[in-house]
Amino acid sequence: MVDELELLRGANPFTADGPLYGDGPLDHHASRRLNRLLYERRRRLLWSLVAGVTVAATVFTLLLGGPSGTPAVAAPRPLVVQANSTPVSLKQLAALAAAVAVDGTPVLRKGTHVQTWSLGMSDDKPPVTIPEERIVRWNADDSHTERVVEDGHVLKETTYPPSWSDVPPDARPPHDVPGLRAYLQETAYSKTPLTTPELLGAVGELLDHWTLGARESAALARLLAGADGLRPAGEVTDRLGRRGEAYVYRQSGSRLMLIMDPATGAVLGMESTSTKDQPEYGVKAGDVMDYSAWTR
Amino acid sequence: MSNDEIFAAAYREHYWAVSRYVARRLDGRSGEVEEVVAEVFTVAWRRRADLPPLPLPWLYGVARNCLANAVRGYGRRRRLVHRLGNDESAHGRQVAVGPDAEAPGGWVHEALARLSAADQEVLRLTAWEELGVEEVAVVLGCGVRAAAMRLHRARRRLRAEIDRLSVLGGAGR
Repeated sequence: MVDELELLRGANPFTADGPLYGDGPLDHHASRRLNRLLYERRRRLLWSLVAGVTVAATVFTLLLGGPSGTPAVAAPRPLVVQANSTPVSLKQLAALAAAVAVDGTPVLRKGTHVQTWSLGMSDDKPPVTIPEERIVRWNADDSHTERVVEDGHVLKETTYPPSWSDVPPDARPPHDVPGLRAYLQETAYSKTPLTTPELLGAVGELLDHWTLGARESAALARLLAGADGLRPAGEVTDRLGRRGEAYVYRQSGSRLMLIMDPATGAVLGMESTSTKDQPEYGVKAGDVMDYSAWTR
Repeated sequence: MSNDEIFAAAYREHYWAVSRYVARRLDGRSGEVEEVVAEVFTVAWRRRADLPPLPLPWLYGVARNCLANAVRGYGRRRRLVHRLGNDESAHGRQVAVGPDAEAPGGWVHEALARLSAADQEVLRLTAWEELGVEEVAVVLGCGVRAAAMRLHRARRRLRAEIDRLSVLGGAGR
């Protein structure tokens, strides 16, 4: 009689030498994910500047141009709050958003349209990257298409087969404040209530997956109105030329700025900026670290 | 090596093994496999300070939890797929089962599918991930003796199902 484990071994659907998922070097996709994890780490290190942590020193002196014929790209300037503008409190803005949301339009839509930029931290590439535009559209059959545009060129357009999940941030976001708070906490994989920087990070994740409707934006504005340390700063014009109200959170060495639409209370963008010179990383006070600008 | 370097090395070495682990439990639905594997390594990255010297069983343990989340996430759709799948296999059962059926893995899978989820997992870890009982214990988060006992019982039950299918399929051995 054949051993039952032997029989089961013979029925292994995916083996190490098989054509699918067989051992070998990482494919492009897997490499990219690893790089992203390591890159994220570096970005955070830069923020926290944890004493004693070693990180390969990266030279940021080449803000224009770079080695091996890389095109010259300027780093973005931080958004400037207009002098003499009167800051609008988040409470006021949340009340406005609630009033605007009464008729329920625009509606929530899965997918995103975002322009992002972040300071490159690669050892072998110049430190400035080109802003990237990412457009994700979902279709009726639950498939979706992701298009990435850089410098006017479509870098990638991929259609993914139907997929479905009810885990945030893929799950449909709720439009009540407690529901949204729980949703964002789950998005941030946190077991404890989110701090303001964590909350802003989770909001960015949400907006990278969903284009909020008026109701969700109103709930989000109310939630943000309760975030500690998020102060109204005044009016700005964002990178897509839109008028926005800026709300600023300051932490050691950095400033996070949230930009919201003064007419609807929707989140338009976020920016993080260094607030002190960090020569070991080649970063000066006032350098933009990254930004995102969301649009419908 | 720093934690980051250790993590990167474990990622490169075990990415495909973790992918196979996940694919075997999602019946190879490739889109979902990739998503879950990405999640496994994101969680592992956050917990990289805990990465043990032999990381693979630990990574399987992380994958096991991520799969549980994914099952919750894909809940409704999976239930539908599962129902459809069962209907199909119910038809298939009447047509061709037993060791002489064309796809040799098919009836073994069927015998496996008749066991409890816990039995299935300990058997797959042993036969497909080729783990020793100590490593199985790491994945399941239990003691070595408990793991050995679970495997022993699961093997017995698998044997019984295989024998039952052989009789039903009319193929004597």
